[in-house]
Amino acid sequence: MSVSTAPETDRAPSSHELISADVPWELIVWNDPVNLMSYVSYVFQSYFGYSEAKASKLMMQVHQEGKSAVASGAKEKMEAHVVAMHGFGLWATVQKGGGRG
Amino acid sequence: MAKAFIAGRRGITGILEGAERDLLRKLFADIITMLEPDTPAHEDPLAALIGLDMDATVPTDPALLRLLPDAVKNDAGAALEFRQLTERSLRENKIGALRAASLDLDHDKVVLDADRARLWSMALNDVRLVLAERLEIRDEQDADRVHLVQDWGDADDVESYLSLVYNFVSWLQESLVQAMLVGLKSRK
Repeated sequence: MSVSTAPETDRAPSSHELISADVPWELIVWNDPVNLMSYVSYVFQSYFGYSEAKASKLMMQVHQEGKSAVASGAKEKMEAHVVAMHGFGLWATVQKGGGRG
Repeated sequence: MAKAFIAGRRGITGILEGAERDLLRKLFADIITMLEPDTPAHEDPLAALIGLDMDATVPTDPALLRLLPDAVKNDAGAALEFRQLTERSLRENKIGALRAASLDLDHDKVVLDADRARLWSMALNDVRLVLAERLEIRDEQDADRVHLVQDWGDADDVESYLSLVYNFVSWLQESLVQAMLVGLKSRK
């Protein structure tokens, strides 16, 4: 991601709370050198309704680790999310949960 | 020179000079042209309604591929199937945002409500994705290289000109997004 104002974050990334047999799909957002950090945080806040802190944490995870599982749940829901992310210009994919690929 | 977008009581306001508005209009139009589907909507009205497009294929232009990326990694078949179901409506949504932003370019003063600002941020982002592909921005070092080109006096070749345009659009988007984040905060 492109640097603008990087918020401070010192919390370790935690695994998502919702991983279970019933909700096996994940939405992965990938890092790229173009999307602004502020914009990625805005998308996470406005689209998913995440708090500023959670959006920043996920954004920093994308930036530093190259990707982040930003949502998980039913396949259809993750597919709707991936289309929305592509609408915003974020690079996102859907995958079955548990796989770290 | 443009004035950065700022959040105020009546929405988000920015000032753009005539030459800047002409440039943005041209950039938005170029990307609309890129995104317009090669084939007409499906003849079957139901298929057309849901945006089904069995002719959709992976774009060969890397810039277009960046606008319309695969939604599934390491599974070309599943990615293509998903593309056939969703790509046409994604193209239409992007074109809608680019057209909306173009329509706001009639006056120096651009005033946006939250919804319009979102469409603008998407349009500016798509412009940046395409310019970045043309400038071969693949990693943070490439981004830094482009960011260093700041003097319009240096615009003596296509690459430095595109770099300056990229930096201008980046600056504009950053100021817009900062104003949008202020709006999100005050909504809570």
